[in-house]
Amino acid sequence: MFKFLFKKENIVENLIYKYLETFDKTRDNFSQAFYLCVEEGNCRDFDFLAEQTNKYESMADDIIDEINNQMYGKVLIPDSREDVMNLLLGLDKIPHIFEKSLFMIKYQNLHIPGFLFQDIRNLVDISVETCEILALQVKHFLKMEKGIRDCMNRIDVKESHCDHLEKNLIADIFDPNSDIDPYLRLQFKELVVRIGDISDQADRVSKLVNVLSLKRRV
Amino acid sequence: MFSLLGGVFLGWSLGANDASNIFGTAVSSKMVKFGTAAVLASVFVVIGAVMSGSAGIETLKGLTSFDISEAVIASVAAAISVSAMTVFSLPVSTSQSVVGAIIGIGIINGQVNTAGLGKVVACWVGTPVGGAVICFVLYKVIAFFYNRSGVTLFRSDMLLRACLILSGSYGAYALGANNVANVSAVFVGADMLNVFQASLLGGVSIALGILTFSRPVMETVGKRLVRLDPFSALMVSLSLGATIHLYTMIGVPVSSSQAVIGAVLGIGIVKGVKTVSVATLKSIFAAWVLSPLVACGVSVLLIFISRLQYLPPVQ
Repeated sequence: MFKFLFKKENIVENLIYKYLETFDKTRDNFSQAFYLCVEEGNCRDFDFLAEQTNKYESMADDIIDEINNQMYGKVLIPDSREDVMNLLLGLDKIPHIFEKSLFMIKYQNLHIPGFLFQDIRNLVDISVETCEILALQVKHFLKMEKGIRDCMNRIDVKESHCDHLEKNLIADIFDPNSDIDPYLRLQFKELVVRIGDISDQADRVSKLVNVLSLKRRV
Repeated sequence: MFSLLGGVFLGWSLGANDASNIFGTAVSSKMVKFGTAAVLASVFVVIGAVMSGSAGIETLKGLTSFDISEAVIASVAAAISVSAMTVFSLPVSTSQSVVGAIIGIGIINGQVNTAGLGKVVACWVGTPVGGAVICFVLYKVIAFFYNRSGVTLFRSDMLLRACLILSGSYGAYALGANNVANVSAVFVGADMLNVFQASLLGGVSIALGILTFSRPVMETVGKRLVRLDPFSALMVSLSLGATIHLYTMIGVPVSSSQAVIGAVLGIGIVKGVKTVSVATLKSIFAAWVLSPLVACGVSVLLIFISRLQYLPPVQ
């Protein structure tokens, strides 16, 4: 009932949910590609999944552009427009990191040494989990539901865990006793830092969502 | 008919100034287009003036009784007082200026209705206080339900926008009903117009002011209040309408500017007393005292001048 009154709002709301679906797909492709190539050595599928990640990342960018255009066609009150766009732009940095990490493995021909597998796998797992929780938190925010603060706390704990893993990995990469080529050490370090950025960015966006939800409480 | 122009001028300046109190926040924050706000405000001002403006007209008319020239002088004195206050950047109260002008003429004529004056002055004090109390209560009650309503972000914003349009229209209705007396009550007192004609003339002249010259003031007032979040802006707008409507039922024209300032103070009380500006309070107090005094002085002066007679020198 009265749906005709909310026509523009419905379009933008649907676009945001579509963006979140694309965000999830980019994340799934990233984690699958990572496991396939890094752990199972199946790099033909890796190429396909990396391309899929790239495709969904571009799709996410297009959706953001569309939301931006619709938003300034007088959807939402000006205060909320800016808040929602800042939130989406913050969120959209994560698919870029997924894409760049996979491209780094692909184009720099990185083969992760066995002694780094477990920690890198843990780092990717936890980073992907922070993204799952973040998408849930954004949905809570859009529906103005409870649970936003809880999501923020969970992401915060996972982000600290990721920082810890990142430090350990960098220490292992630069272990003087390891026989990794110094040039490769720098590349692995760059990859680890980049994967670590996923949870850092998720944490930043999660805190922003929390602030925005508090701002909307009267 | 020419003598009615003073009233039309006063109505026009009132419309240009006071529409900002009703739709200022909504227009300056681009939640409502100026054209939409101006048309809605004009329509509802006329409806309010015609449907509920008679009580205020009866009260002001009862303060004293005028002939035509005195009625015109009262309007012009009030308009001069409003303009002078605007030049000195003081908050303007058209209602107080009109009453001050009427009192000035009443003093010269030796016929001031002190009982009616007491009622009016008591309501002046009560306007910002009433605005603050109504806003505080509305904020607390509506916020309780709003926080538990479960509406989504998009629905909530749309509802907020719709409510701002509705509360602005209600405010315009209340403004027309309440302030039309300032514009045309003196002409009823002078037996130039009946109550319906005075309401219509007053309503239309206020609407003319809104349609032609309210945009700059509306944008300025809105920007001054832009620190208010949208929900608080809605509460201020709703409280303004309710406060003015309340005084319309009592039959006393009051200042919409003071009702708005009272409502903003109400928000200040909800969000922490430290947000209330002492400087703002001082300027409100100065305007309370100065608006009627200046209008009273100007009307005394104009009446005095109008009664001067040329006496040829004795040969």
